[in-house]
Amino acid sequence: MSNPLLQSVGDALTALDRVLLGKQLQVKLALTCLLSQGHLLIEDLPGMGKTTLAHGLARVLGLEDQRVQFTSDMLPADIIGVSIFDQTQGEFRFHAGPLFSQLLLADEINRTTPKTQSALLEAMEEGQVTVDGHSYKLPQPFFVIATQNPVTQYGTFPLPESQLDRFLMRIALGYPAPEVERRLLAGGGTRSELQGLPCCLTPGALLEVQQQCAAVHASSSVIDYVQRLVQYTRDSEQFSYGVSPRGALALLRCARTWAWLDGRSHLLPEDVQQVLEPVLGHRMRAAEDVGGYAGTRLVNELLTRVDVLG
Amino acid sequence: MKQISRAAVVWQLLAFGVVLLPHLAWLPLWLIGICLMTPGVRLMIHGGRWSLPHWSVKLVLVLAVAGGLILTYSRATGMRGMVALLIGALALKLLEIYHRRDALVMLYVSLFVLATSFLFYQTIAVALYALLATTVIVAALNSIQQDPMRADLLRPLRRALRLLLFALPLMLVLFLLFPRIGPLWSVPLDRQVARSGLADSMSPGDISQLIRSGATAFRVSFDAAAPAPAQRYWRSMIYSEFDGRTWRRARSGDEREESGLLQGQGGAIDYEIIFEPSNRNWLVALDLPAGAPDRMRLAEGHTLLSLRPVDRRLSYRARSYASYRLQPYLPQRARVRYLQLPAFGNARSRAQAARWWQQSGADPQRFVNRVLGEFNAAFSYTLTPARLGADAVDQFLFDTQQGFCGHYAGALSFLLRSVGVPARVVAGYQGGEWNPYEQYLTVRQYDAHAWTEYWVEGAGWLRVDPTAAVAPERVLESASAAYADDPAFLSDSPWSPLRLGRSGWLQGLRQQLDAANFVWHRWVLNYQARQLGVLSGWFGAVSGWKIVLALLLPSALVLGLVAWQQLRGGRRRPRDPVERALQRLLELLAREVDVRRPNESIQAYAGRLGERNPSLAAELAAVARADAAVRYAARDEQRQQLLDAIILCRRRLRRVRRRRGESRSVDE
Repeated sequence: MSNPLLQSVGDALTALDRVLLGKQLQVKLALTCLLSQGHLLIEDLPGMGKTTLAHGLARVLGLEDQRVQFTSDMLPADIIGVSIFDQTQGEFRFHAGPLFSQLLLADEINRTTPKTQSALLEAMEEGQVTVDGHSYKLPQPFFVIATQNPVTQYGTFPLPESQLDRFLMRIALGYPAPEVERRLLAGGGTRSELQGLPCCLTPGALLEVQQQCAAVHASSSVIDYVQRLVQYTRDSEQFSYGVSPRGALALLRCARTWAWLDGRSHLLPEDVQQVLEPVLGHRMRAAEDVGGYAGTRLVNELLTRVDVLG
Repeated sequence: MKQISRAAVVWQLLAFGVVLLPHLAWLPLWLIGICLMTPGVRLMIHGGRWSLPHWSVKLVLVLAVAGGLILTYSRATGMRGMVALLIGALALKLLEIYHRRDALVMLYVSLFVLATSFLFYQTIAVALYALLATTVIVAALNSIQQDPMRADLLRPLRRALRLLLFALPLMLVLFLLFPRIGPLWSVPLDRQVARSGLADSMSPGDISQLIRSGATAFRVSFDAAAPAPAQRYWRSMIYSEFDGRTWRRARSGDEREESGLLQGQGGAIDYEIIFEPSNRNWLVALDLPAGAPDRMRLAEGHTLLSLRPVDRRLSYRARSYASYRLQPYLPQRARVRYLQLPAFGNARSRAQAARWWQQSGADPQRFVNRVLGEFNAAFSYTLTPARLGADAVDQFLFDTQQGFCGHYAGALSFLLRSVGVPARVVAGYQGGEWNPYEQYLTVRQYDAHAWTEYWVEGAGWLRVDPTAAVAPERVLESASAAYADDPAFLSDSPWSPLRLGRSGWLQGLRQQLDAANFVWHRWVLNYQARQLGVLSGWFGAVSGWKIVLALLLPSALVLGLVAWQQLRGGRRRPRDPVERALQRLLELLAREVDVRRPNESIQAYAGRLGERNPSLAAELAAVARADAAVRYAARDEQRQQLLDAIILCRRRLRRVRRRRGESRSVDE
C-alpha cells in the first residue's frame, strides 16, 4: 500500500476492531460515513456498543468530542448554548454549548422532544447556529453521531423522514456472535481499551482523505446502476415514495469512500451494493408499512431486482 | 376489483342512451318505460340521494322483465325478442354498475346492441349515427380505466376520438379486404309486418280511392343506355285467375311449361336492380327477363320470384330483351287457364265483346285496337273511381267509364277472354324517375301499374297497355307528372318532397339525396357482391382464401414480431463489438452453466461460476478483470485484452462442453 493516508486509515480500522469485537463491517461503515462527510445514526438497543463506537471513532480520527445525553426535558439551549449578561463588561456573552465540537455524540436522540431534535438537525445541515440574531460557525470538521433506541420502545419521539434524511447512514450493531461474546466476557470491560486507542489521523489528513474519496472515479456503468436503483424505488408499487436525488448522491458518495477504503481509485457495483442498506434503508418506506422498519426487505428487493448491467 | 369513477358512471348512462335511441321505434312501451326508469334511478344513486338497490329488488326487476319479454315475444319469431332481451338486460345492469368488470360487460353488450340496429335500418344516417355511438361507447370504455381520483369527464372523449381516428384506416382496409362470409344461420326479421307494394290480387271495383305511396320500390342502373320511358315496363307478377270481380295470382302456376319458350330479338339489356325489402317473394324485371339470376326462379309468365321472402335490401343483375317472342305455341292446359272466366255475370260486356269481335273479323289485334279506340274516345283516368257493384266490368265499361290502370287492364283481359283470346293481367311497375347525378332509375310504389297481355298464335304473348290509350302521359311521362293534380296522389304524406313537381332546387336536392342513398346501397351495403370484382380489378385475379391469407399473414407477422420482442424483454444488441461479444458470452454461459442473477456484476458472476467450474476459472477471471478495468476504471486501452479474454473463454467453454459430451456418450 503506497498511499500513506490509506495506511493510517487502515490502522485506525484495526485499532477500532480491537475495541469493538466482531463488528468489522459496522465499524468500516461508520468510518465510511464520516470520511464521506456525513452524519451517522446508530440504531440499536441499549448496551450494544453504540457509545463505544462513537467514542472510538472520535479518538482514532483525532477529533475533539462532546457527548450529550438527550432526555425528554432537554431544551435547544442545552445543546446550542446561551447568551448570559456579563456585568463586568456590561454586555451579553455567548456561552457555547456542547454542540461546538468536532464530533458530537448525541445519545438517544429519540428520547428528546422534536423541538430539541430539530435544533440539532438544523445545525447539522447548516454548519452554524444562530442565537439572539448572531450566527456562530461550528468547528470544521463537524460530525454528529446520533444513537437511538428503536422507536417501538416506549417513551420515544421518532424522527420524521425529513430529519432521518439528514443522516448519511443508519446502521445497527446487533448482538455479537457467541464466540465473540465469550471473548468479550473473558476480557472484561472496554473502557480501558478505549483510552488506549491511538490517534491515527490529523485534522489536515482527514481533510485530504475526504478529498481523495470524493475523487474516486465513477464510470457511467456504475452511475447508470445507481440511477436504476433509485428509479426502481420510484416506479415499484412496493415503495410508498421513491428515493430523492439527495439519497442517490449520498449513495454514490458513500460507495466512493468504500472503494477508496478498499484501495481502489474506481467504483465497482459491489461498492454500491455494500453501502446500499445503511445509506438508503432509512430513506425508504414500504407502501403498506407505517413504522418505517421494512428497510432491509426493500433493500433486498432492490438488490435482487435491479440488474447491475442494465 | 376496481371501482369506477363518477365520471365513468355518466359515460355508462350516455352509452346506454345512444344505444337505446335507434331501437325506440319498435321496442314495446313497457320496456321503454324500464329503459327510462333505470337511468333515472341510477342518476339518483349517482347524486347520492339513493343507495344501490338491494338484491331482492334486483331479483324482482329481473323476473318482471323476463316475464314481460316472454309475454311479448313468445309467439314471435325473429330477432326482435333477442334484441329486446339484450336491451332489457342493459337497462337492469345500469342499476349495479359499480366495479370495472360490470362496466366492461355493459359496454361490450352495448356495442353488440348497437350493431343490431343495422338489422332494422341500413341508411347512411344510421351508419353515421353508429359512428357517433361507437365514439361514445369507446369513450365510456376509456373512462372506466381512469383513476377514480383523477377522473375527468371530457378526457375520455378526446382519447376515444383519437383512437377512432387511428382506427379509421384499419376500418377501410378491413371493409375492402375482409372476406364476406354468408350468415351461418338465418333469422327471419319482421316477417309478420307487411310493407306496401303490389298485392297478390287486384279487384279495382272495391277501391274508391287509390292511395299512392312515394316509397321507393327499387332502383335500377343500366350497363348501357336506359330504355325509352315508354319501354320501361317492370313486370312482377301475373294475375291469371278471374272470379268476376277480382284478378288473382294463380296459386300454383306451371312455370316449367314456359321456360325456354322465349326467343329474344335484338340486343339484350343488362342492368342491376337494388330491390327494397318487401317481405314477399316476387321481384321485378324489365319486360322481358331472359332467365333467373341466382337464388331466384322464373315464375308464371316469365316473372322473377325469389326463393326466400325479400326481408332485406336485395341486389341482383338481370338481362332482358325489349323485343321478344314468348311462347308462340300455347299448350292446351295453358290455353284453358288463360281463357278461364266465371260462367255467369257481366253479360253486357260479353255481348259487346262478341259484337266487336265480329266487327274486327275475328282478328285479335284488330279487336284490341277497337277496344282501345273505345277507351280513348269515352273513358277517363282517375285515382278516385266510383265503387262498382255486382257486375263490375259491365258497370265500368258502360256506366262509370272512369278508373285507373287496374280497371282498364282487367276489363280488356275480360273482353279478350270472353271472345276466346287467351289473355292475362300483368302487374308491376311502369316508368321511374331518372337520376341524372348517378345515372340510375328510381321506381317508387306510385309507379305500380297493371297492363294486359294477350296471346296470338305464332306471335306469342303481346303486351298492350290500355291505360296508355286513356292517359298517354301516364306512360310517356313520370307518374308524378301524370298524377300531380290528383287529390289522391301522395295523400298519405302531404309534405312529401315528391309533391314539388319537377322544377326548383328542392327537386335537385331531393335527387342528389337519393343519389347519395343509391351510391351507399350499391357500394357500401352491397359491396359484398362486388368485392371480388373490385379486388381483382386492383390486384388481378384473387380468390376468397387468398384474401384471407393476405389479411392473416401480415397481421400474424406483426403480432409475432411484437410477441417476440416482448418475450426477449425488449433487449437490444449493443452496437459496441466488445459489448456484443460479452453479451453473447453471457448468454452462452447462462445456457451452459448458470444464469447471472440481476444483482451480480460480471466480476461476482465470474467468481461464482469459477468456483463451481475450476476448468473455466482462469478464463472467467481474466474476462472479469479486463471487464472491470474497461467498464469501471475507464481504462479503454484494455478493450482488446477484454475481447481476447472473451474469445479465449468461449473457446474454453466450447472445449469443456465437447469433453463433457464425449464423456457422456462414453457413459452411455
